[in-house]
Amino acid sequence: MNHAKRHRKDFMIRIGIGIVSSIGLFVLIAIFAFVFQKGSSLLSWQLLTGDYYSTTYDSYYDGTLPSAGFERPSSLDDSVYYSSVWGIGLQDDLDAEGKPYILIVYVDPNSPLTSLPDKNTEGETVQIASGQTLGKVIFSNRTIVLTSNGAQSAIQLFDGADGILDLLTTTRGKGIRGSIITTLYLIGLTLVIALPIGVFSAVYLHEYAPKNSKLAEALRRLVEMLTGVPSIIFGLLGAAVFIPFTSTITAADGGNLFSGALTLAVIVLPVIISSTEESLKVIPDEYRQASLALGATKTQTTFRVVLKAAIPGILSAVLLSVGRIIGESAALIYAVGTAIKDHIILTERSTSLAVHIWSIMAGETPNFELASAISIIILIVVFVLNLIVKLVARRLSRA
Amino acid sequence: MNARAVFQINDLNLHYGEKQALFDISMEIPRNQVTALIGPSGCGKSTLLRSLNRMNDLIDGCHIDGQVRYEEEDVYAKTYDVIELRTKVGMVFQKPNPFPMSIFDNVAYGPRCQGIKDKKVLADIVKKALENAALYDEVKDRLKESGNALSGGQQQRLCIARAIAMNPDVILMDEPTSALDPIATAKIEDLIQDLKKDYTIVIVTHNMQQAARISDNTAFFLMGELVEFDKTDLIFSQPRDQRTEDYITGRFG
Repeated sequence: MNHAKRHRKDFMIRIGIGIVSSIGLFVLIAIFAFVFQKGSSLLSWQLLTGDYYSTTYDSYYDGTLPSAGFERPSSLDDSVYYSSVWGIGLQDDLDAEGKPYILIVYVDPNSPLTSLPDKNTEGETVQIASGQTLGKVIFSNRTIVLTSNGAQSAIQLFDGADGILDLLTTTRGKGIRGSIITTLYLIGLTLVIALPIGVFSAVYLHEYAPKNSKLAEALRRLVEMLTGVPSIIFGLLGAAVFIPFTSTITAADGGNLFSGALTLAVIVLPVIISSTEESLKVIPDEYRQASLALGATKTQTTFRVVLKAAIPGILSAVLLSVGRIIGESAALIYAVGTAIKDHIILTERSTSLAVHIWSIMAGETPNFELASAISIIILIVVFVLNLIVKLVARRLSRA
Repeated sequence: MNARAVFQINDLNLHYGEKQALFDISMEIPRNQVTALIGPSGCGKSTLLRSLNRMNDLIDGCHIDGQVRYEEEDVYAKTYDVIELRTKVGMVFQKPNPFPMSIFDNVAYGPRCQGIKDKKVLADIVKKALENAALYDEVKDRLKESGNALSGGQQQRLCIARAIAMNPDVILMDEPTSALDPIATAKIEDLIQDLKKDYTIVIVTHNMQQAARISDNTAFFLMGELVEFDKTDLIFSQPRDQRTEDYITGRFG
């Protein structure tokens, strides 16, 4: 009887463990599914390379049109409506919220539309180009283009007109090029600062520090402790120390990429020190002995043999750091700022990808789709970095 | 002092922390001969070998009294340049330990550390060293491959080539064949016979037959003491000490 009871208990506990672990798995998968479902429709080359802010141009045309017109290029897709009178190709498209709009996909290089007078600024010109959105158009024959009627009707009106009283076009926005560039700058600057310091600290700890050295032990404890400190505290450090510091030595005034990189360098330093030290630990002592027995100095041994053999480990430290830099947001809100920019200047505020998400979600009209699209990009980059770290680690353990 | 002696060891006592590993060792290592150090495990033969090029310095708590004179100079004197010593006294380890770099770079490592940068000079040194180590014909077409891609025996000859590339006077070998198969061992033994024309060789070996085959002189150690040191044929034919006889006839060890 007791036997059956034990079996039943065992069965119940197994079921329980199964349920609990599937909850965990479900939550993780749900996050990915949510982000992909929300953001995947926005993923495009334009998202990666485009400006965040859209600009609206207001222009007109009162010149004459060449009677020969402009030939339709054969490269244009069948879904493109083309006006041979003006040399412009239009296409119907849907924006992130599912609303239809008319996209300019082609403008003939000789078309007068490539250089129109700007209504807003006297003497300036406006260039109508592919990638812009067609807004309201009032032709000189008093016909008006309505975006809701689609590209085909717009082209008919273009073909029937020989002058434009008012032409509104908008460059497409919501691109994240600026934040990508900021992120790349931060990765580069941070590694330039943190990598030499981290690698040399690890070399000191493992190769030069005397055994049982109090200083080395204290340094190790500090490194361990720093890995557990919430990054917002590093952000405060950035705001209190690095922003004033960089403001004095550069043209910066407030948060900038240098103060951001310094803050991030402090954050990734423990990662670099500890994983470089781990990789030095697995270098066989035979290499050091062989080198010293050949009359090499300690420094030659360290740099030509030990560090060279530790390169895979250092590389994985770099990749881990890059992952950390891409994922960091809290510290950068202070150190670099939250202003989304299209044109990145090192001494000015801008946002990294992660802070870009924060910025668009903290605004009055949160944009879930764009935030999810950026999340997908970050997830993919971090995923690829992790894969590379695994591969490098496997190669390291095999060597 | 005997002018033919490269090393002269006088009353050498060596401690690892509290434990004494060598007791009052005094001996002379003759020039251009093979001297074998034999004895059971833990008898101090490797420790003595490592005190000749001061590799014991790397071990924490190692303390030395007495003298090791190389070419008349006390290598443990405060002003003695240990880097200089190790360029003159090369070493081959028990386990083949090529660096994780190409065959060429392995052999060129020592000369490069000495500041030789000229590519032609380096190529000459590498070729000569590999030839002298009887490895050149086997690897001449793949000098750029990793040293770790070679077989164990080839790796050990690469390590010998690496030591030869420094153009040393003495080569210390710490059980160089113990990790190798009999064929690779035979090749290394042949090589040692060739090398003794140009170099003084001190070899630690577990294998008494090997000592008998390749050495001119043999020193027998037991528990940190030098029991007997003489011509190899005398040691193996008519040992003076009972303990030596017991060891070489296989009664212990």
